[in-house]
Amino acid sequence: MEQFFQQLVNGLNVGSTYAVVALGFGLVFGVMRVINLAHPEIFMLGAYFTFMLVNVLGFDSQSLSLLAGIGLYIGVLIVVMSGTGVVGLVLERLVIRPTRGTYLLIPFIATGGVAIFLQNGAQRVWGADPVLVPSIIPFHALNLGGVTFTSMQLTTFFTGVVVMAVLRYYVRSTRWGRATRAVAERADVAAACGVNVNQVSQLTMVISAMMAGAAGVSIGLLYTSAAPFMGLLFGLKSFVCMLVAGNRNIEAIMAVGLSLGVVEALVTGYLTSNLRDAVAFTVLLVVLFFRPRGLFGSYDV
Amino acid sequence: MLDFITDNLSGFWVVTLIAAGMNSIIAMGVYFSNSAGALSVAHAAIAGMGAYMGATLTTNFDWPFPAALLAGASVGMATGIVLALITVRMNELVAGLTTLAFGETMVVIAFNIDYIGGANSFIGIPLYTTFGVVYLVLAIVVFAGWRFDRSRLGYAARACRDNAVTASAMGINVIWVKTLVFALGGGIAALGGVLRSHYILVQNPDDMGFFFSLNFVIFWVFGGSYVFWGPVFGAMFLTIVPEVLRFSVQERFIMYGLILTAIVILRPQGVITRVPLGGRISLFGLLPLLRHRLGLEPTNHPVPAGVADHENPGEVSLGPEGERRPQG
Repeated sequence: MEQFFQQLVNGLNVGSTYAVVALGFGLVFGVMRVINLAHPEIFMLGAYFTFMLVNVLGFDSQSLSLLAGIGLYIGVLIVVMSGTGVVGLVLERLVIRPTRGTYLLIPFIATGGVAIFLQNGAQRVWGADPVLVPSIIPFHALNLGGVTFTSMQLTTFFTGVVVMAVLRYYVRSTRWGRATRAVAERADVAAACGVNVNQVSQLTMVISAMMAGAAGVSIGLLYTSAAPFMGLLFGLKSFVCMLVAGNRNIEAIMAVGLSLGVVEALVTGYLTSNLRDAVAFTVLLVVLFFRPRGLFGSYDV
Repeated sequence: MLDFITDNLSGFWVVTLIAAGMNSIIAMGVYFSNSAGALSVAHAAIAGMGAYMGATLTTNFDWPFPAALLAGASVGMATGIVLALITVRMNELVAGLTTLAFGETMVVIAFNIDYIGGANSFIGIPLYTTFGVVYLVLAIVVFAGWRFDRSRLGYAARACRDNAVTASAMGINVIWVKTLVFALGGGIAALGGVLRSHYILVQNPDDMGFFFSLNFVIFWVFGGSYVFWGPVFGAMFLTIVPEVLRFSVQERFIMYGLILTAIVILRPQGVITRVPLGGRISLFGLLPLLRHRLGLEPTNHPVPAGVADHENPGEVSLGPEGERRPQG
């Protein structure tokens, strides 16, 4: 039973980052009808930005108090999220806006080209081997009835939850969020009602890139490494989460992301780690066969 | 066979052209499968399954190479039929994602079968593929593509792709057409896979993954998805260009990514396009187009993309490709 709860905790941890990356995919796909293949690479850039920033600051995490570590973490999070937000802005202006509204595969391939560029650019700049991201939160372990939580695990999970809560508030309860939902529903009618579709798209892209950056910070510090191709499988699985949930409902994407993390952790713990990567795709096959628009519905393409 | 060509080329060009030829064959498989409107991103997986079949037969059972090629192709056709029947009622996007999931599942299955090497890859495959064999198969496939574009089946497939409901109202059996072209494309992709495994002499489960399939879809869209030599051009160009840009591996792919993005933004309809004209085709349709441009005769065939219509001044016909890409 202890093992079960330990796997549950590990799973929720990874699941919260799956959910954050999947929400970024879902936002861009819902609002612009664009599958942004460069999204996982923005996540990868987030991890590398963390690596650079922490190395420039040059702290020894064990000499810091827990509170100072968390303060530093929040600072790093804000700087990296702004950095990836700028990347998202440039990507929207240069690649997505010219190709949007054409055939579905065109922005798909254009952002795919950007993904190849970013992967190999990262390999050129930082080398093909994974780099070590020094931790900034001092190691503490909390033991609750045989289940261990480390300080970094709690931080990762908490980051994911806060990002999701802020996004949910933004989409459901603000003026801009209402405009975003209107554009996702019918872009032409929203434009006729006075919504600036281009501005909304740009803002959505920046938010999605910032969320990918936040996930990059968490994963980089959690696994203390960043690699040029770290985004590939992680991004593909997040994309699968978005498809299984459908892009109409952000709460559904969060739930599916968390469950995927848990199911993967349980498969690793009780069966074999070989089958871990198959879970997501098998679930996707079954869901698409019976409910082609995802479990909770999607916008028309 | 074709020794006079390989003798006069440097080793670099022989290797590059063989790789380009094999990629072209698999890209032609994508062209056939997707011609009826079922977007498939599982062609690397289909090619890989054919390759595993062919490699097992030649390595473990000492079959002759042509027989192994045919066996691999029939595995590809069978997979194509299964995938077509699953995706026949789905729209392009959902069909694409279903095939994606299928491909990734095949990777995991191949990882866990020890008979075909599992995670250690299938090794010890004999070298059978030569320059001549690759280009002989490519010539056959391109000839088939040329005949297909002008055949009853080709027209029916394009009709299904543009509007499946209208096509079935015209008496086309949509399920039959979609299954048939998917099976043809699967067989061709598997041929490419068998050739590749007998050239690089190792077959790895990772080669069947999504990102390899994506490459073939990129070749297909880049070259132009409406005409049979579009995918061949795309595969040739995008295989040879990174090799010719003689930088380090990373710099090569940085350039590749930039070129790909730039060309897709500048020319979203693909590099090579030809709008199919109705009736008889004379000299690639140039003559009717010229007569139409000069206003010598009213046309009774669809007006090519971007050409002003003289009968309705002020209107520009978008042609069949334009209609598929609604704005907004």
